[in-house]
Amino acid sequence: MTAPAEDLRAVAGTALAWVDSHRAGFALGEDALAVDGEVDLSWKPLGELAQVCATVTRLTDPADPLHARARGLLDFAWQETHEGALFLRLQRLEPFATYPLEVYAALAAAGLRHPAFEQAAAVVARTRGWRLTEQDPTRRLGVLRAEERCGVHPFGQAPPGLPQTWLGGLPEPWTFGRDAGYALTHVVFHLSDWGCDAAALPPDLVAYLSDWLPPWLDTCLEAGMWDLGGELLAVAAIVARTTGESVPAGDWGRLLAARGPAGEVPLDDRDLDEIGAAPGTDGDRYFLHHYHSTLMAAFAAVLAGARPAAERPAPAAAGRRPGGQGAPA
Amino acid sequence: MEQSGTSTRLQAAVQDLASGVVSALRGGDHAHVVPPVGTDGEAGDLAPAAVRVLGADALLPGLLSRTPPDPAELAVFRKAFEAYPPRADAAPTVRWSHWAMARTLRRADPSSAEAPDEPDTAWLDGATWQVLTHQLAVLAPLALPGEDCAVSRLAEGRPVDVARGFVRAVRRRDWRQAAGAGRWLTLLPGVPETVGLDAGLDFVELMGGQDPLVALQVQAARRMRTGARG
Repeated sequence: MTAPAEDLRAVAGTALAWVDSHRAGFALGEDALAVDGEVDLSWKPLGELAQVCATVTRLTDPADPLHARARGLLDFAWQETHEGALFLRLQRLEPFATYPLEVYAALAAAGLRHPAFEQAAAVVARTRGWRLTEQDPTRRLGVLRAEERCGVHPFGQAPPGLPQTWLGGLPEPWTFGRDAGYALTHVVFHLSDWGCDAAALPPDLVAYLSDWLPPWLDTCLEAGMWDLGGELLAVAAIVARTTGESVPAGDWGRLLAARGPAGEVPLDDRDLDEIGAAPGTDGDRYFLHHYHSTLMAAFAAVLAGARPAAERPAPAAAGRRPGGQGAPA
Repeated sequence: MEQSGTSTRLQAAVQDLASGVVSALRGGDHAHVVPPVGTDGEAGDLAPAAVRVLGADALLPGLLSRTPPDPAELAVFRKAFEAYPPRADAAPTVRWSHWAMARTLRRADPSSAEAPDEPDTAWLDGATWQVLTHQLAVLAPLALPGEDCAVSRLAEGRPVDVARGFVRAVRRRDWRQAAGAGRWLTLLPGVPETVGLDAGLDFVELMGGQDPLVALQVQAARRMRTGARG
C-alpha cells in the first residue's frame, strides 16, 4: 500500500475541525482554581489540546489551513489561561504541584509565554523537595522536559530516569499491556519533543520500537483500544521519521473505520449506554469519550503526513531485521 | 458422556498422545508414546488418526535424542502416514504436515521410501507477518534443528516477523500459536534479543501449559534451545 499522506492530511483536518467545534469542552470551568478542582476535567484537556496544536503548528506551513486551525485553538487555550496569568494564581494555590508547569510548557512550546510565571516556577524548581517529588519515571521525564521548556534547565540533557521507564528498560515485548502502552508512548513524546525532534530518540529505542510496534498496534486496534492505538500510530510516525518506514496503512484503516459521523474518534469500543452511567450531561460524556482520541488521531496524522519521504532506513537497522521488510503490516 | 462423538474422542486421543510426547521429551517416561497397532479398544482404533493429527511430532522424542523408535510405534506411525494421504484439494499445511511425516519416517527407518518432493511455499509469498506466524505455528513439526526444507528457509528469511507473531499470539492468549512460533524462534537466526524467548516460553507454559499441545511445543523448543547451546 502506498503511504496515504494526502488522506492523512484530510484525517488531521477533520479531526481538528471536530475539536474546534467542541471548544467549549476544553474551556476552563469555574473550578479551575478550586483547591479540590478536578484537574483531569479542566487543565488536563486544555494542556492536551495545547500540546497537540503546538506540534501541528511547528510541523505545518503557516499558509496551511491546518496550521491556521491549530493556531486559532492555541490562541483560544491561551485566552482561557488569561494569557498565562492563571498559571501564577494556580502556583500560589499549589506551589509544589507539577501539573501547572506541565500544562504551561505545552503552550510555551508554541511560543506563548508568561515570564513572571517562569521566574516563579524556577524558584520552586530549585528546591530539593521539588526535585524529589514522587512520580512514576515517565511522568518525571515529562516534568524534566517541561522544566527545560520553561528555562529551568538547559535543553537536551540525557534524561536520568530513562532506564527506569518501561520502554527505557527494553522489556520483553509480549509483556505489553494498556498501562505499559501509555507509559511508552509518553516516553517517546517527551524524548522527541512531541514529535518535533525525532532524532533525539536513542537508536536502541528506535530499533526496539521498529521491531515491536506492529504487534502492539495490531492487538490494540483489534481490541478496539482506539485511543492507545492512535498514540501508537503517533509513535510509529515519529520512529518512521528516523527509519523511513512506510505508514502502517492497514492499522490506519482500522482506526479510521472507528470514527464517528464528524470524524471524531472514540476512546474505546464501549457503547454510549455504558458511558451514560457516568455523571454529567450526554454532551459532556460524549466529549470526554472522544476528545483525547480525536486529538491523538490528528497528532498522529500530522506526524505521519509530515514525515520526510526522502530519508532511507539506516543500513545497520535494515541488516539487523531481515524479516521486517516485504510483508504488509 | 453421551455427547462424545468421534471428533471428541479423537481430540482426547490426540491430547493423550501429546501428553505422552511431552513426558518423553522431559525424559521422565520412556514408555510407549504411541499405542501399538493391535491395542484393544478405542485407543487402538483411534491411534493412527491421532498420530496423523499430531504429525511428525509423534516421533519427536526419539528424533531429538537420536534413539531408534520402538518398532510397534513405528508401525502405527507408518499406518497413519499411509492411511491419511492429503486429498487433491488439501490445504498446503496438510500437504506439508504429511511431507514432514514422510521425512520423519525416513529418518526413523532408513529402509523407508525417500521423502517425496517438497510441496511448494507459494501460499506464503507476500503473507503478512500475522498469517505467516499462524501457518508456521501449524507447521511447528517442521521446526527441527539441522533439518532443512522450503518452509524453514522461508522462516529463516523472516525472523522479526515470526517474533512479532509470537508477541501477537501471547497478547491474544493464543497459547498454541505462541508455543509453535516460540519453537520456530529457537531455530531462526536474527531474532531480536529483546523478545526474551526463554522467559517467553516459560510464560506460555505457565499460562497455557495445561494443554498438552502447548506443552509439547514449549518442551520441544526448550530441548532444541538447549541442544543449540550445547
